[in-house]
Amino acid sequence: MQKPEILETLNRIWREELDNDSIVLTDESTAKDVEEWDSISNIQLVVATEKFFKIRFTSSEIAAFKNVGEMVDAIKNRIG
Amino acid sequence: MLFNSLKFLLFFPVVTLMYFALPHRFRWLWLLAMSCVFYMAFVPYYILILGFTILVDYFAGILLENANGRQRKIFLIASIVANVGVLAVFKYYNFLLENFNALFHFSGSDFSFPLLHIILPIGLSFHTFQAMSYTIEVYRGNQKAEKHFGIYALYVMFYPQLVAGPIERPQNMLHQFHAKHFFDSEKVISGLRQILWGFFKKCVVADRLAIYVDAVYTNHADASGANLFVATIFFALQIYADFSAYSDIALGSARIMGFDLMVNFNRPYASKSVTEFWRRWHISLSSWFNDYLFQPLTIATRNWGKRGIAFALFFTFFLAGLWHGAGWTFIIYGSLHGLALVYEFYTKKFRKNLSKKIPAFIYNPVSMLLTFLFVSMAMIFFRSKDLSMAVEIFKSVFTLHNLNSFSFPIMANYTPFGWFSIIISIASVALMFLVEKMVNNNLNYFQSDNQKNILFSSAVLFLIVCFGIFNQTSFIYFQF
Repeated sequence: MQKPEILETLNRIWREELDNDSIVLTDESTAKDVEEWDSISNIQLVVATEKFFKIRFTSSEIAAFKNVGEMVDAIKNRIG
Repeated sequence: MLFNSLKFLLFFPVVTLMYFALPHRFRWLWLLAMSCVFYMAFVPYYILILGFTILVDYFAGILLENANGRQRKIFLIASIVANVGVLAVFKYYNFLLENFNALFHFSGSDFSFPLLHIILPIGLSFHTFQAMSYTIEVYRGNQKAEKHFGIYALYVMFYPQLVAGPIERPQNMLHQFHAKHFFDSEKVISGLRQILWGFFKKCVVADRLAIYVDAVYTNHADASGANLFVATIFFALQIYADFSAYSDIALGSARIMGFDLMVNFNRPYASKSVTEFWRRWHISLSSWFNDYLFQPLTIATRNWGKRGIAFALFFTFFLAGLWHGAGWTFIIYGSLHGLALVYEFYTKKFRKNLSKKIPAFIYNPVSMLLTFLFVSMAMIFFRSKDLSMAVEIFKSVFTLHNLNSFSFPIMANYTPFGWFSIIISIASVALMFLVEKMVNNNLNYFQSDNQKNILFSSAVLFLIVCFGIFNQTSFIYFQF
């Protein structure tokens, strides 16, 4: 899977988890840009992503993600 | 030293003028020395406690930056143990032993631990948390270790936020202490305005409401449920005015010297849920707990599903309650908020659907009112001296104890001006909310400069002089 495809998949997961079809993610997106993405739903998004791609991030990886793009990179590294 | 004391009225201009008069390379020393003076106005020798944690964290920061792997973790843990240890000894030791002693007594034993006779060092919970933020951020690689010992000490001791926050982050503060600040008339004016607004909230709103609140709470056994209800609502208003006033004065006096502190309050009583309330109330504390406790907890418990988040929410607020004070009242205060957040977490979808069905002009104000009522009623535990007092008041309010005396008899007896004082209180609370709603983002108002604002500031000054209470009562959050 290529990066744009991963981003698109994340977008779908975000829309589903946050129950909002108007969400449009970019590599630069952070929790500040999406209203429903808050400190509580954050971990639910991570878990849904891990489940979908059948991967597991390390705790320090999750804590260090600065934006969606960094998460895309981490997923790309895992699934090749 | 209190912001609302005569001493501070002299201290503040002297410190600020000298700050600008001195060459840049001496300014940190001046600010550090004056911060020591500020702190030592309370209990002088407690400065040794500060000195101890500053030393430990300064070296922990440098050591852990240069270490690898497990060693890094060891230095971080050493720093956290030192900070939490100081808190444990000075703030929680007696509470723990009292509970053990009660347990011994209950089981029929005569044994009891001797208690320490110490006064709580002022602002201890604030600056130890700020110090911990430093070593954690260095550990996480978000902040370089500070090599300049004096500047690091200033980071912990900077007088505007030393005793009651905002609890700052090293990323926001350390570079500001290195930077050279120039006298900027716009910043000076906006800083002075924010200080003035803080004094309005402290002297006119908070300390006047306090007269009634104190009178009812000290005589709670004689007060009717209605009086206790009103006093509790008044306390919720008082504590907002009191604490946000402190923050305004802190932000304003820092800004005059060119420092930007983080915004600590964003009209919390306009929140439509308790979850939202904690994003707008004491933001520097709630974000501290979010970054350093709640997020790591949710990551660690993410295999538990929703229960993991519920647990993390409750545990975080349980500790946030305990952060305020060593007592069951604060534990219950925090736990009530924790339960409310868990409830809101599980009903998120339900409430979202509900909000779509009910017109906004009904849903929003009702949500705000319910949130405010919850926050106020939880404050009973915050304000009461001990658990039995809190429970009695809670019962009185909710069983409508002595309903017949729903006039305000106590009010007339205890306040110096009776009804007149109450009317001023209510009017000033209304004015406070109205102005802060109009301003919305405080900074804009405090920064913009036009004739209307000059007129407004003069009016605020006039109200302070006419209706202020000048008995130099301490700020509520100084006890933490």
